[in-house]
Amino acid sequence: MASYSSRVRTDAARWVASGLIDGKTAEAIILDVAAHERRSLSFGSILAIMAGLLLGAAILIFVASNWEAIPRLARVGALFAIIFAGYVGGAVLKLNDHAAIGEAVWLIAAAAFGGSIALIGQMYHLSGDETQAVLVWCAGTAVAAAALRSGPLTIAAVALSAAWLILREVDFWRDSDFPYVFIGIAAVLWLVSYWTESAAARHLILLSLVLYAVLLAFERDAEVVGIAGVLAAVSAILFALAVLMPAQTEAIARLNGLLPVHALIGFLAGVIMIQFEFGGDAGPGFAIAAAAGLAGIVAAVVLAGRESRGLRWIAYTGFAIELCLIYAVMIQDMLGTAGFFLAAGAILGLLAFAIIRIEKRMKEPRLTEGAAA
Amino acid sequence: MSGKRLLLAAVLLAVAQIAFLSWMIAGRAAILRNGQEVLLKVAPIDPRDLLRGDYVRLGYEIRNVPVKLVANAPAGDFVTEQGPILVRLGKDEDGYWRVRSAALGEPQEQPPSGEVDIRGTVSGGWTLGPEASFSVDYGIDRFYVPEGEGRAIETDMRERPFGILAAVASDGTAQIKALMDGDTKLYEEPLY
Repeated sequence: MASYSSRVRTDAARWVASGLIDGKTAEAIILDVAAHERRSLSFGSILAIMAGLLLGAAILIFVASNWEAIPRLARVGALFAIIFAGYVGGAVLKLNDHAAIGEAVWLIAAAAFGGSIALIGQMYHLSGDETQAVLVWCAGTAVAAAALRSGPLTIAAVALSAAWLILREVDFWRDSDFPYVFIGIAAVLWLVSYWTESAAARHLILLSLVLYAVLLAFERDAEVVGIAGVLAAVSAILFALAVLMPAQTEAIARLNGLLPVHALIGFLAGVIMIQFEFGGDAGPGFAIAAAAGLAGIVAAVVLAGRESRGLRWIAYTGFAIELCLIYAVMIQDMLGTAGFFLAAGAILGLLAFAIIRIEKRMKEPRLTEGAAA
Repeated sequence: MSGKRLLLAAVLLAVAQIAFLSWMIAGRAAILRNGQEVLLKVAPIDPRDLLRGDYVRLGYEIRNVPVKLVANAPAGDFVTEQGPILVRLGKDEDGYWRVRSAALGEPQEQPPSGEVDIRGTVSGGWTLGPEASFSVDYGIDRFYVPEGEGRAIETDMRERPFGILAAVASDGTAQIKALMDGDTKLYEEPLY
């Protein structure tokens, strides 16, 4: 996708050609946009971060190989040296205008911290605490992110917390309690993400909270409908807040205006879980959940679809999943399914007609305003 | 953040993380150095850990604790609750240490001389009948070996008795000291 500044450049050329603005103004606009464009996601910095992740993975796998040719005290020493050189060297690079490479080197240092924990476990034959090791690693990385004010390290800490959540749940052999603490961890990481100004970390936290709710519902299969219902309701409230008071919610959440997208994902996850729970029998519970899901999707597109392409795509995906679910459940009664689709199709058609009318009306006054001014 | 402060933060962070890791190592080394030695009989189970490489999974003879040896087994309950347990071990004629008694929860008194308390966790859901026994996890059921050597040791373990020489700290935490093939030490762990 072309960047905003290059799109503005072509637009400005067209505006100059059509006489809307003069060449001087066009140049000023292009310069202003270029100066304010966020440079965080340049190609080079992405490559640097990927290189950092690869080197970090190399450290972890080297530790796992338990290579006897190097005495283990030397391995410990080497890891400690990488930790020190990584954090301090990364800071030096950052101060000398190599921000992306500095961040990548910090990631290597964080990986070396995790590798050291794994190596200590290996040295002393500690068993059954992988999940705890990942949690300690996550905490160390979060502290590093806060101390160095690093966005990528914040994202790494969030990813580790999600990995911990998944490991805890995948561990069938130990009937450990459900990791409720995750909510607290997510809250702390959320606060850290404000300090490190990492919106990406907040996106990841919201997604992992949806995952948490899904896992919680799996864990307590007697209360699936309740848990999924709470997830859907909270998501719907967040969505409403984000749409009704966009400025205020954005000031708090600071998600680049993408809170509705996460709210829609949470809502769909909740509704689909409820449908799975009722799955098999196409009773009233399933029908209500399906109707709520479709209504939610339509509402989301109407209320916030225009601002965000991401939200529209999530909505379309959710819509497709809904149709498949309904078809799969109601397949024993094709006539009923056909009736449901017929009604839904007719309603959507009417809605589409209404939306097109509304959107046209919404555009018209702006055009006349523009002409008057 | 100004340049000096960022550098200072980076140095402090590195030192703090290294100090934390050193503290972990020191704690484990202290158990190896000062802990009471016990020899435990083991049988192999099965291997591999993604993060830390090859290991042999060890099934301890003392893993099974009969309910009738548990002094404070809850009378009304039918199944165990997940929680800590202290298992008292004593040395038998053949040199291996075996279960003498056990107590759920925190320790009450010091063990008499010649016996040692080892700390473990019991998972929930084991039946508590008088003839039943449950399984205790001591956190030492893995022995990490260089990549590729795990299988060979496991095969040998199925043919003749192997032992684990463990060190037990005064709070009951156990730590593997050496893997014994009969009377010979196969791998002996250095302190660091």
